[in-house]
Amino acid sequence: MTRPFCLLAFAFCLLPWQAHGLPLYRDSLPNGLIILTYEDHRLPTALVSLVCRSGAACDPEAKAGTAAMAAELLTRGTATMSGDSVTSLVEFLGGSFHGSATGDFMELGTQVLSKDMPTALDLLADATLHPAFAPKELELARSRFLSGAQRIKDSPQQQVDQEFIRLVYQGLPYGHPNYGDTLSIPLIRREDLVSFHSTYVKPNNSFIVAVGDANRADLVAAIQSRFGAWGPSPVPVPQSLTPAYPDRIKVKLITHTDMNQTYVEFGHPGITARDSDMLATRLMSYILGGSPMSSRLGITVREEGGLAYDVRCWFDRNALPGAYHATVQTAKPREAIEKMLRDIRVMHDSGATRAEVEKARNFYTGSFPLTYSSSDGKKSQVITDELFGYGLDWLEKFPDRVRAVTLEQVNAAARDHISPGHYIMVILGPVTKDDLGLQGVEWIE
Amino acid sequence: MPNPRTFHLSCLVSLVLLAAQSVLAADAAADLESRVSEFALKNGLEVLVYADSSAPVVSTNVYYKVGSYDEALGRTGLSHMLEHMTFKHTDIYKPGDFDRIVDSAGGNNNGFTSTYYTGYYEDFARDRWELALRIEAARMGRCIFPDSEFESEHQVVSEERRLQDNRPMSELWEQFDAVAFLANPQRNPTIGWPDDVRRYTVQAVRDWYAQRYNPANAVLVVAGDVRPADVRAKAEKYFGKLKGTPVARTDCYGSEPKQHGERRITVRKRVRVPQVLVGFHSPGIRDTAEFFAAEVAGSIAGSGRSSRLYRKLVTELQIATSVWGGNSVDRDPGMFQIGVTPKAESLIPHIEQVVQAELDRLGAEPVTERELQQVRNQVLAGEYFQRDDVSDMAYLLARCKILYGDWRTIEAYPAGIQRVTAEQVRDFCRAYLNPDNRITGILLSETK
Repeated sequence: MTRPFCLLAFAFCLLPWQAHGLPLYRDSLPNGLIILTYEDHRLPTALVSLVCRSGAACDPEAKAGTAAMAAELLTRGTATMSGDSVTSLVEFLGGSFHGSATGDFMELGTQVLSKDMPTALDLLADATLHPAFAPKELELARSRFLSGAQRIKDSPQQQVDQEFIRLVYQGLPYGHPNYGDTLSIPLIRREDLVSFHSTYVKPNNSFIVAVGDANRADLVAAIQSRFGAWGPSPVPVPQSLTPAYPDRIKVKLITHTDMNQTYVEFGHPGITARDSDMLATRLMSYILGGSPMSSRLGITVREEGGLAYDVRCWFDRNALPGAYHATVQTAKPREAIEKMLRDIRVMHDSGATRAEVEKARNFYTGSFPLTYSSSDGKKSQVITDELFGYGLDWLEKFPDRVRAVTLEQVNAAARDHISPGHYIMVILGPVTKDDLGLQGVEWIE
Repeated sequence: MPNPRTFHLSCLVSLVLLAAQSVLAADAAADLESRVSEFALKNGLEVLVYADSSAPVVSTNVYYKVGSYDEALGRTGLSHMLEHMTFKHTDIYKPGDFDRIVDSAGGNNNGFTSTYYTGYYEDFARDRWELALRIEAARMGRCIFPDSEFESEHQVVSEERRLQDNRPMSELWEQFDAVAFLANPQRNPTIGWPDDVRRYTVQAVRDWYAQRYNPANAVLVVAGDVRPADVRAKAEKYFGKLKGTPVARTDCYGSEPKQHGERRITVRKRVRVPQVLVGFHSPGIRDTAEFFAAEVAGSIAGSGRSSRLYRKLVTELQIATSVWGGNSVDRDPGMFQIGVTPKAESLIPHIEQVVQAELDRLGAEPVTERELQQVRNQVLAGEYFQRDDVSDMAYLLARCKILYGDWRTIEAYPAGIQRVTAEQVRDFCRAYLNPDNRITGILLSETK
C-alpha cells in the first residue's frame, strides 16, 4: 500500500489555512511539503523541525532501529559537510540539531536564536536532501545505539516496558524497540539507511513545523527556496494490523533476586489516535490512573495502601492501534497487583461517576493551555495535530470537544476498550510465582 | 605566525560577533528588568513576580530554604519526608484535597527537595491561579501531621528510596558524592540514607516543619500572565497574617578539607554497560573569578559533541560511546565532573589516561578564542531558551534568590562568562584538575 501524492493538489500550492485566532498557519509547496508556522515573537528564538510521517513502524524486518539510525545519520554530515562540521557549526551558535524517531515519525529538529534561522534552514535542507551516510558516522552511531540498547537492560523499568511491548504486539510494527536491540543493530547497513531515506523522506510524506520568532511569509519563501526542487514520489505506508487480545492473563516473570522492589506492567492492545472514542477513553483512563495521587489507582495503591511511589495507567496515542498500560513499582507486588486488577475491573463493570467525569473534563480543559504554553509544547502539539489529522482548529476547539464528552461515552469506553482478564503482564523483581499468588494465569516461559 | 590577512579577518569576525552578542545580551537584561518585580511582606516573605502574558498561564512557586544541606547524620532525607507529608493534611484541607483541587482545576502541581531548597509549584490557567496561593499559604502555616497518616506515607517514601537502590547509576552517584565530600553536606543523598529513612518518626517531621516552614524562610515566585499589583494584594491576603521567624542556616561553604591524593570507588551491580565518573573539587560561587573559569573549562572539556573530550574519546579514538560533563557547582565548592560510557570495561584504564591527558592539556595551553566564543554564544542562547517557559523562569528566579540572594544573578552569569580569559581557564585547570584532587568512580558488572 502506498501513500499517493496528487498532482492536482499541487495546483493549490501556497493555499494557506489559518487557525482562527491563533497565529498558526498551514501552507503547502507544489511538491506537497506542508509548512506549519506558529508565530511567537516574544523571544528571539525559533524551533524548526522537519517531520517525516514514517518512523520505526516502517523499519525493515529484523532491522529494528533503522528509522532512528537514519534520523541520527541525517544530522551527521552531508555531501559537502562532515558530521563534525555540522556539529561545530550548530554548537558554536549555541543551538542544537538532533534526529529522532518514534513508531510513527522521524524528526530532524533544530533550536536556534532567530538571527541564525537562515543557517538552521540551510542545515535542515542540506541534511534532508544531501545526506552523506558516511561509513565512519554509521560506525559511531552503531556503537552509540548498541550501548543504548544494552543500557536498557540495566534499567528495570525500561526492560519491563520493552518486554511488555514485544509481547503485546508479537511481531507487528510497534513490537520492536524504536532504537533497535542488540540483535538488530549490527544488521543495519548503509544501504538500509539510504533505502529508508530514499523511500520515505519525501516532501509529500513530510511537513515542517516552525515555532517562534519567524514571520510566516518570509519563512514560506525561505523554505520554498531551499526545498522547492525536492521531488515527490509515492510512499509505502505500514499495514494497519490490530494485535490480538490475549485469551487470558499471560504473565512473563523475570526473577532478579538482588533487587528490593518489583516492577510490574500489564495491559493489552488499545485504539488508534484517530479513533472517535479516543477522547472519552482518555478521560476514563485519567479517572482510573492518570495521577499517582488522586486517581482511583493512586488513592488505592499509593495514598491508602502505601504500596508504591508511582502507579498509573494510560492509552498510547499512535497512528496504528497503541497499547493500554498499567504500571507500578512496589515491594509488595501481590497486594498492589490485586488492588489494581480489582480497580480496573470495577471501572470496566460499573464505570465512572458523574462527578469523576466532571473532574476529568475540568482537568483536560484547564490544563490544555499549559500543554502549549512553551515553544516546545506548541511544536509537539502541532506535530500531533498534523500527524493524526486533527485539523488546524484542534487547539482552539479542544476544550469544547472535551466538554461534549458524556458520562455514557466514558463508561462505554471503559466497557469497550478495557478487557479485564485479557492482559499481558510482565513482572521483574525478587519474586517467585508462589509469591505473587496469581490464579488462573498462563505463565510465559 | 598567522597569515596577516586571515588574522585580520578573524579579528574582524570576532569583533562583529562580540558587538552583536553585546547587543543581544543588553536586550536580554533589559527585557528581564522590565518583567521582574520584587517586594517583601512584613513577615519576611520575599516575593518575585515575572510578568509574561504571551500564554494564558501562571506558575506559582514557593521555595523554602531547607534541604539535605541542613540535615544532621541520622536525619538525612528528613526534608524530603516532610515535603511528602505537607501534601497530606492542614487544618482546612483533608488528605488528598490539594491534588483533588489542582486536578479539578486542570493544574499541574508537585514538590521536590534538593540540596539547598525544597520547592512546591502549581501551574494553572490564568483565571484560576489564585487557588495556588490558597494552597501554598495553607502548606506554609497550617499543616498538621496526625500519627495515623504517617506510616502509609513513610512506606511511599521507602518505595521511592528502593527505586534509587535499583538504578545502578543512582547508586554510583550516591556513593561518588559520599566519597568526594568528607565534611560538606553535599555528601548526603537528598532522599536520605536507607537506614535513616527507616527510622523517621512523625515527631521528627513535626519538629522540622516547625523549625523551617515560615514566611521568613521562604520565597514566593509568581510567573506568567499576571499583574504585579494584583500579586502583591493577593500575597498579602493569603500570606500576610502568617508569622515570620528568621531561620539561621548553617554555612558549610568552607567546610571541605583539601584533598591530598586520588580517591577511587567501584560499584558492582547487575549492569551490561560500565560507566566512569571523574571528578575534581571545584571552587564555589564566592570564589567568583575561578568559578566562572571553571564553568567555561567544563563546557569546553565536556559539553556537547564538539567538546574536546567527546571528540577525543568518541570520534577520534572510538573507545567510548558517550561523554558528558561540566562544572557542577550550585553554591558551595562542588565538583568538576566528566562522565564517560566506555565501549568495553577493558578500555577503562585507557579512558582514564586520555581524560587526564586532555585536562592536562587544558592546564598547559590557553584555549582558543573560538572555543571561548562558543561558550559565550551557548550561554547567551541558553538565556533566551530558558525564558521560553514561565515554569522554568519561576524556577530560575527562585533558585537565584535562594542560592545567591539576588535574582539578578541571572543577568550577572553571562557577564561573568564573557569576562573569562583563556589564561584564567588554563590557570584553573592547572590548579584544580590534577590527580591529587581527583575522585574516580566506576560502575562495573557484578559478574566480573
